[in-house]
Amino acid sequence: MIDRGELLRVLADRAPADWVMFERSIERGRFAAAKATARSERMRRIELVVYVDGDRGRGSARVVGDGDRDDAGELVAQAIELARASAGPAWASAPASAPARVTLEDETLRGYELGDAARALLAAIPSRAGVTIAPELELARESVDVIARTGLTASWVATLCELDALIVAHDRSVTVQRRARTLRGLEIDGVVAEAARDLELIARARTPAAGPCALVLRGDAMVHGGLGVWAAFAAQADAVVERQGLSRYREGHAIARRGEQSAEHILEPLAMWSDGALPFGTLSSPLGDEGEAVRKFALVERGAAAGLGLAPREAALRRREPNGGVRNLVVASGSWSGTADAARTIDVRRVRELHIDRYTGEATLEIALALEQPGDHPITGGTLRLDLIDALAFARRSPTRMRTGAYEGPSDILIDRAELV
Amino acid sequence: MTWSRREVLGTLGLASAHGLWLAAGCGPHAAPLTPKPASAGEIRAWLHDAVERLTGAGMQDARALAVVRDRAVAGIDVLGAGVTRTHAAGAILTGLRRDGIRIERVTSELTADGIAAAARALAGDARPTAIAGSSHQQLTAIARDPAELTNADLLAEAAEIEALEPARSSRIVYAAAAVEVDDANVWAVASGFDRAQRLVRYRRSAVRVAWSGTRPVIGEVHRAWRGELVDQKLTADELASATHAALGLVTPTAFDGGVYPILLEPSVAAIIVDAAARGLLTAQASVRPEVKRRLAVGARVAAPLISVTDDPTVAGAYGGYGFDDEGELAAPLVLVDHGHVVGVLADRAAVASGHAATAGRGRRRDHLGPVVAGPSHVRIATGVGDRATMLDDGFVLEGGVAASIDPSSDRLIVAVARGRERRAGRDTGRVFADLELVGSLSDLLSSITGVSQQHELIGRRDDGDAPLPWRSMDAPWLAGRGELRARRRLG
Repeated sequence: MIDRGELLRVLADRAPADWVMFERSIERGRFAAAKATARSERMRRIELVVYVDGDRGRGSARVVGDGDRDDAGELVAQAIELARASAGPAWASAPASAPARVTLEDETLRGYELGDAARALLAAIPSRAGVTIAPELELARESVDVIARTGLTASWVATLCELDALIVAHDRSVTVQRRARTLRGLEIDGVVAEAARDLELIARARTPAAGPCALVLRGDAMVHGGLGVWAAFAAQADAVVERQGLSRYREGHAIARRGEQSAEHILEPLAMWSDGALPFGTLSSPLGDEGEAVRKFALVERGAAAGLGLAPREAALRRREPNGGVRNLVVASGSWSGTADAARTIDVRRVRELHIDRYTGEATLEIALALEQPGDHPITGGTLRLDLIDALAFARRSPTRMRTGAYEGPSDILIDRAELV
Repeated sequence: MTWSRREVLGTLGLASAHGLWLAAGCGPHAAPLTPKPASAGEIRAWLHDAVERLTGAGMQDARALAVVRDRAVAGIDVLGAGVTRTHAAGAILTGLRRDGIRIERVTSELTADGIAAAARALAGDARPTAIAGSSHQQLTAIARDPAELTNADLLAEAAEIEALEPARSSRIVYAAAAVEVDDANVWAVASGFDRAQRLVRYRRSAVRVAWSGTRPVIGEVHRAWRGELVDQKLTADELASATHAALGLVTPTAFDGGVYPILLEPSVAAIIVDAAARGLLTAQASVRPEVKRRLAVGARVAAPLISVTDDPTVAGAYGGYGFDDEGELAAPLVLVDHGHVVGVLADRAAVASGHAATAGRGRRRDHLGPVVAGPSHVRIATGVGDRATMLDDGFVLEGGVAASIDPSSDRLIVAVARGRERRAGRDTGRVFADLELVGSLSDLLSSITGVSQQHELIGRRDDGDAPLPWRSMDAPWLAGRGELRARRRLG
């Protein structure tokens, strides 16, 4: 294994234009109940990001020193060679900024062997009559040390808990996935109970008829897969895509317009932020992938596009400060009371699949379970087609808030225009 | 399809966070800088010692697997050229404890001390117990070591692809070519076997992008195989087909969705069967009650013309291997025989629990992740049809993008790049971009009325956390009926 001190000595000798070194020690424990398999991992890895300036501009490379590498000189030489081979427009690194102060470690996991902890936690899930659960739980603890040429040093510990479970009841099945920094954030019992209730509804659900409808998205259905429907804004705020002119997002302009009505001029215009320093956010980190400080910034302010996720290179080319890119999303609350007065409303409880076109924001959402109103009839199947930028710009948001994985914001939203196909 | 350069390069395998924005010049072409690993003999000895220690601690079925992986990608696009290289190594030790729990220990320290420490973590200070000896099996051999390929060699290979098309239409706004090399040395040791394989996978690809109205249209071509770099090359005709696909004019009217006779091009047939094999025809899927009802062994799920086999032993198959990541020797497995389910893909745990009859499909992400059963090289049996005459009226679906199947409902969604209208056996010239084939998988497969004698090989490599990064399919054209709709609004 490469020695950190030796690596720093070689970097000082070779003196590339800039460099950042990450040393990661990762411990993982996993228990898969159905396979009765306990798994533990110990990984140590050195990642080196090197920038080289030359006649053709600046090149960069990231190389990894893994378990069977022990020659620091060779690692640095490889990084410099690869960086030279990928030279692009010239830019200069920004001065080092203080890392974001953020808590990422679940201290209740300290001192435990993670595989044993995972097994014990799964054994503690209460059994339910008529419900079979096949859960897998992985607990990870990562210690990170960062050293940069600028003199920046940082260290932190982060934990990550991931639940993946197949739940069977009423001769039907669903899979659930949850990610959280803390065990408490997984809400294992609640997830299982909710799935068991939903399976009862799925067992008597019918296929919906096509047609226009209003749409209610609640809880996990709204943030399916992590950021859920809000991921449309993360893609729009990608500085690289914006530079290519391929996104609808234009800083300072309304994010959507319906005829004469701008998203800026509604009663409760949308406001949302990227917050990479959200305590226990699954996308939180003190520093970005290239050692840049992670910062909170506005993506949408009063219905207008406000900011972009900026890695060091993109920030330098735009003469701005890097912010670590788009991370956890924080969305402002609204005052929606929870009632919909549309002729037909689809209240989505569980999503099977969500696909978002990262450039247009157009999305298709496959329904695993919804309640159709009036009547609260359970339905399953069917595809909802949405222009998410427009839909979320004009959506009503609840005052109640939820916090899960990489999202903090309203727990329910009402979208007045959707199409079920 | 609407792709950014980042995504295009991602598809080509170049999208690292840093080596992506390639620009003028290729830099010096030094030899690749590879680590100096321990010898294969040393690694096998460390694994052997670890298995003996686990066995000494009373574990049954102790096994050890080690891997050293290198990946190199050389790419050339409209702005420049570059090379990325990654390296990883590690080992995994497994054994069955007396309490019936299978334990696994993974370490990134592929050294004598690292493996010994991992063995101690599982077995404590137990005295080693001798295991049954076996002769060493080296299951794959190669003529040219890919470690000898310098950055310059790889860039020259990528440049050779671009040279196939010396004059390019000014409507092509983005063009790229790439050569990827994945080189994995894998060793597996247990009582009674001592196996090694070298899996060298190559992929050559090219992409062309042109604007059609407000959207970019992608044309892509690739070849993926296992073996030697010189075994396969892209041809000028193949590159021309990618350009043609990008430049093809798209009918500027809304697509009228509905049920149509369809002809699935091999890339479309392949992603459907691949999705079905991964999501439905595995031991882990078969525990779901809905899957058990529909896809029990013996159930009819497709037209009698359809037979599907997973065969990792096919020479040169991109998804193939000599043994899986549990050390089980590869062997062909028939999944669907004339429309009936006859087998499921399984790992050893599924066999032990009675969910499957045959193991050998235990795959681990990067060879060291948790075991997942999945397909390797899936072959759809060819028929007697001629692709040119298999569809009179309907749509030829080209350019498979993605397929998803809901295991609980059998609902299928297949995204395709284009639907080409055919009337009276001839192309009408109307081509609709970005269509979706939707409905029930079993309805679609049961509707198949024709299978072509022509077939194509398709290799897929999934990045990120995909548990089965390398897979390949051998698929013919399939004629049937299905519901089509536009994937997006017009404009």
